[in-house]
Amino acid sequence: MDETAGDLKQELPNTCDNIQIHVEVHQNSISTAKKEDIRMSVLKLLNRHNIVFGDYKWTEFDDGFLNSNVQSVSIVDTELKLKERQPIDLSKSSLSIHIFHLNEEGPSSENLEEDNEDIVAANHWVLPAAEFHGLWESLIYDTEVKSHLLDYVTTTLLFSDRNVDSNLISWNRVVLLHGPPGTGKTSLCKALAQKLTIRLSYRYKYGQLIEINSHSLFSKWFSESGKLVTKMFQKIQELIDDKDALVFVLIDEVESLTAARSAFKAGTEPSDAIRVVNAVLTQIDQIKRYPNVVILTTSNITEKIDMAFVDRADIKQYIGPPSTAAIFRIYLSCLEELMKCQIIYPRQQLLTLRELEMIGFVENNVSRLSLLLKEISRRSEGLSGRVLRKLPFLAHALYIQSPNVTMKTFLQALSLVVDKQFEERRKLTDSV
Amino acid sequence: MAAPGGAEAEGVGASPAAPPLPAEPPAAPGLTRGPHRGGMAAPPLGPAVSVVFPGAVSRESCCRFACELLKHVLYQRHQLPLPYEQLAYFCRRPSQVGDMIKKPPSVDLASKKCQQVLTDLEGMLQHLEVIFSLTLVPRVLILLGGSAVSPKELYELNLEGVCVGSTEKSLKTTSCVRKLFHSLFIADVFSELKALPAMGTVVMLQGHRDCGVEWFRPKLNYKVPTRGRKLTVNLSCDGDISISASAPSSTTSVWEDYVWFQAPVTLKGFHE
Repeated sequence: MDETAGDLKQELPNTCDNIQIHVEVHQNSISTAKKEDIRMSVLKLLNRHNIVFGDYKWTEFDDGFLNSNVQSVSIVDTELKLKERQPIDLSKSSLSIHIFHLNEEGPSSENLEEDNEDIVAANHWVLPAAEFHGLWESLIYDTEVKSHLLDYVTTTLLFSDRNVDSNLISWNRVVLLHGPPGTGKTSLCKALAQKLTIRLSYRYKYGQLIEINSHSLFSKWFSESGKLVTKMFQKIQELIDDKDALVFVLIDEVESLTAARSAFKAGTEPSDAIRVVNAVLTQIDQIKRYPNVVILTTSNITEKIDMAFVDRADIKQYIGPPSTAAIFRIYLSCLEELMKCQIIYPRQQLLTLRELEMIGFVENNVSRLSLLLKEISRRSEGLSGRVLRKLPFLAHALYIQSPNVTMKTFLQALSLVVDKQFEERRKLTDSV
Repeated sequence: MAAPGGAEAEGVGASPAAPPLPAEPPAAPGLTRGPHRGGMAAPPLGPAVSVVFPGAVSRESCCRFACELLKHVLYQRHQLPLPYEQLAYFCRRPSQVGDMIKKPPSVDLASKKCQQVLTDLEGMLQHLEVIFSLTLVPRVLILLGGSAVSPKELYELNLEGVCVGSTEKSLKTTSCVRKLFHSLFIADVFSELKALPAMGTVVMLQGHRDCGVEWFRPKLNYKVPTRGRKLTVNLSCDGDISISASAPSSTTSVWEDYVWFQAPVTLKGFHE
């Protein structure tokens, strides 16, 4: 066993040769430099530092040109391809450099009925948007959810690009993410849209994300709802017509739209609602013919979704609550942020789970705090990502209330707040 | 959506069913049609108004055209209840002792919106002056509603054909502005349109890559949208132009280093 492991380790450096490494270059918002010039400078930079360990981000440069034009150069998503942190020789791997500008303006809204301007039927972002910057990195999953999704959509767009006959091989461009609330389904959709816009910037000039408020598609007038859906998709169609744009349609909580049909059979839903579902389904069939569109949907309750819809989704990805390992990483990123903002002071380096494993979880001065964090993570199992991300805040608000604390005190507070969280949850279920 | 009349005129500008929108205003006496018109970009979809100035135009004048067109569009398309100058006069009056009566909250909100848009617009006009002093501006876009890539209405001011001259050797700004608006009124481009709800207005313009402007944000990937109602105003120069004035060039290579800049504020329209 040990021998094979040793063999594997020797093999490993070779496996990372020739892998695709993505380099994202965030151009300053006021920089007008040409993409080619930036690419040249970034290549020079990568030549100087040609061995990296996993993801890496440069924010300061020796090069004056890069300093004035580029916010950051980051090597990203290496963990999606490589299981372990290992040295990557950039000179041997194929590099794809993506240079992007962030759009700073917020979402614009689309209204459907002209007489009531207040109801916003859809929010509409031009990607890559500053709002979603860093979202992808903040989402932590155990399984290869992120790489699956990325690969899926990349294949989809490749097939469309090469004009694969969709009568012979059919694919639908519909992604359904389901799972318990607070696991980051909607965030993942937004982050995915942002990521793909950056990845495919050589092909599409910009991305558009349209988030449909599904309840706004139900009209107050009987028989008008179906028309509202059609109107909505007409607007989307206009966006798709621009061949330089990559369009993402996000339908959140899709069960609210499609649950209606089964309820209709039970006689509890008016016939108008069923028209909405039918209209949505036919419209999705309509727009999926276009190569530059991806439909992202999320749902909390999969059983309630119409089968006709589930069938249309190519990828039905379950997003579950995070495991201990993922919780550990989430906490680690939170603590890192607090140290950056000097709320936790002095700075203390925590070990990752992998590093703990390497020292065999032996408790010593270096590993003590990390082991405590591991223990807290184990006890936090069952909490959703949304709850986990707010625990550091609650810990500070409830037990600390001072502008800076040591790591040790903070972890104790975090531990208390985790207990409290479970206690609150028990009380809630008891009272129901 | 665009008004029915506007939608019809779009795309099929030559259709006899379209409302009588002359592609160009009738030639004023003493005005000669110059050879430069042929060198301009192909006429885009939607109605277009062309104005030919009998001589070189200064940069300051070009800036005034953009500013005046912006103010005019905002008022004509119902984003401001009064023309800018009047609105500024009424809203920026220092409150007198008699005005201290308590107003209902709705009035307060409206006046807050009004103050906001006035402040934003004033800032915009100042920054337009700055960018026009730093670089040649071949094109200006005024985008109403939606987003910069999919606006509901689009107004384009095309200055590619303008010969920019020094202030002394150019035509007077006031007479040029008068001529521009005369052409706009004759073309009667606004009367057919339906009233619009209050929405956001984005201003974009092309400038030289290295002009060093800081307030405007470069949008290197930007492409002029093809959707929505569009009105193009083409400006060009003709007549006795001295050599010192920079002549317009129809070759695209000259404009290669000109990139789109977007104003970082959105002017939020309001109704009273």
